[in-house]
Amino acid sequence: MEINTTREGNTLTIAVSGRVDTVTAPELEAGLKFGDSSRVVIDLSNVPYMSSAGLRLLLAAHKTMLANGGRMEVANVQSAVREVLDITGFSDILNLV
Amino acid sequence: MTFATTKFRAFLPAATFAMAAEFLMGLSDSVICGHVLGETGLAATNLMQGVFEIVTFAGMMTAIGSSVLFATEVGALHVRRARGYFTLGFSASVAAGLLVSAVLAAVRLPVIGAFGASPEVSAMASSYWLWFLPAAALQPVAFFLGTMCYTDGDARLSFLSYLVQLGMNCLLSVPLTMWFGAAGCAAGTGIGSFAAIAVLLFHFRKTGCMLGFSGHFILPDLLRISRLSLGDAGKNLGKATLMFALNSYVISRFGSDALPVLAVVLMTIGISEVFDGVANAAQPLASVYIGERNAFLTKRVMRAALAAALIEGGGAMLLLLAFPGLMIALAGIEIPATAAEAAVAVRLSSIALPALALVLLFNSYYVFIRREGLAIALTFAAVLVAPLALFPVGGALGGARGVWMALGLAPLAALAVFALYELVRWGLSRFPFLIPADREAAIRVFDLELDPVGICATSAAVGEHLRQKGIDAGRASKASLLVEEALMVVRDRNAGRRIRAEVTVDLNGGLALVIRDDGEIFDITDADARVSSLRAYLVSNLMTALPNRRNLTTTGFNRNVFKL
Repeated sequence: MEINTTREGNTLTIAVSGRVDTVTAPELEAGLKFGDSSRVVIDLSNVPYMSSAGLRLLLAAHKTMLANGGRMEVANVQSAVREVLDITGFSDILNLV
Repeated sequence: MTFATTKFRAFLPAATFAMAAEFLMGLSDSVICGHVLGETGLAATNLMQGVFEIVTFAGMMTAIGSSVLFATEVGALHVRRARGYFTLGFSASVAAGLLVSAVLAAVRLPVIGAFGASPEVSAMASSYWLWFLPAAALQPVAFFLGTMCYTDGDARLSFLSYLVQLGMNCLLSVPLTMWFGAAGCAAGTGIGSFAAIAVLLFHFRKTGCMLGFSGHFILPDLLRISRLSLGDAGKNLGKATLMFALNSYVISRFGSDALPVLAVVLMTIGISEVFDGVANAAQPLASVYIGERNAFLTKRVMRAALAAALIEGGGAMLLLLAFPGLMIALAGIEIPATAAEAAVAVRLSSIALPALALVLLFNSYYVFIRREGLAIALTFAAVLVAPLALFPVGGALGGARGVWMALGLAPLAALAVFALYELVRWGLSRFPFLIPADREAAIRVFDLELDPVGICATSAAVGEHLRQKGIDAGRASKASLLVEEALMVVRDRNAGRRIRAEVTVDLNGGLALVIRDDGEIFDITDADARVSSLRAYLVSNLMTALPNRRNLTTTGFNRNVFKL
């Protein structure tokens, strides 16, 4: 898995590449550091697969941002991952763009 | 070690011990009469060997077919039909017990007279036969229930019933034989059969018992049970015929004094019954794999069974070649000249054991794959036709020792001819399991031990395999997700245990995913199961989104089938 972080003003973009599963999820968890960003965009355009281990991280990150008065967006979700978000109802909780 | 071979090896000791207990049970009356009543008692019970085989035949005629059909229907997820076969088989076993008992009562005196044995041996055999009739009625029911209980995954209770039967038989038969002679020995056998039935009834009180009664009586189904059973049960009918022929031949050629040696030879060949445990251990897996039409895994489990049969058969032969005295001591022969002749006979006849182990395995296998004709042909060739053709030749050329040698070589000769026939008929590519290779190409099996790295690697491999096979990314990803989440849930439920799992991807006529594990039995497909984690929540929602899913737990492991 690869994680590339770019900052533009108060917006932090985290681009993830590869499978997010039980084994790789800790890597992603380590990469989800938001600092004082008020807006975080998680770019999943190169994530073909995500299991519950990844969902747990997205939910935790979403709650952290909300608690800090910020906003987290999940962008460019591939159809297979989108289906997982739909099945679990996460597409209604997370901000998908 | 794969899931299939691990499970097979887990089933093997119980199945082998169960058959060993059954062998000892069949042997117990000869052993008890031999030790308590001397060589005359041994000779008298030897005349009964054909009767024992007929009673076993009656039990097997209902049990084997019913268990195969029951397991296959459960494998195909048709529980109601499976219970129908159980009901039908049970009714038939009760009827078979009563019928065989009535027939044996009617033919007792004429058959004993026809042997032409000495008056002392004939009188003892007649007395035993009369008191054996209740056991003849009960034993088919006990055998049926024991087999079905085993097929339903309760190997422990099935084995316990054998132990109780053997224990009761020995505990009661010894004093009863001392007090009442051969009649007491037979009465003890009947009480043992009754005790076994009583133990087996406890299976119906257990959670997860799939056996049950369901109104079902269709003549074609009864004929199916009989046809499937005949391949396996036929060997007992063949052996019964051979025993009657052998007893008559030996008495007429060598006199009643040769009967104790013949008894030891038949005990030696009878050890092969223990090898039936190999097929019984393979059956719960093989039947389900065959029900799924999974040629790859069917071959995998049968290869493991083949190796086990050769080891058991070869090991027993080597043991008896080195220590023939074991059988002589078991039979209770004390006259030195008879014991010396019996030692030669044991060595000569033990050559049959490896071949018989293979015959029994393939006999059962042909029944599994619905080639009952082959099963019947192989059985009759190995246990009746070849011995019947060879022992008079052996007797003419080498006297009594020629007969024992012929009995040792006959199964090997039959097996060789049969293998040649299969090679000519089906070719080397399908030998010896006769399964066409075409279905194998669409099946891929992944074996793993449950740890996060293995689970995620398998999940990724399943997805990659499906994409390579042209399955769209959405379905491939869903299959991959199902594998990871389901196996992680299984791992979480079995914390601290080593769990093996097997994932089959079957692309024959659609995309089917079969996930098996040997952990705690539970239904992962239950969409209403308690949700205690995000993972369990995802699995629960996946189950709701997958209407075509089934769980099966009957044979001692979890099996979850998903059609995507």
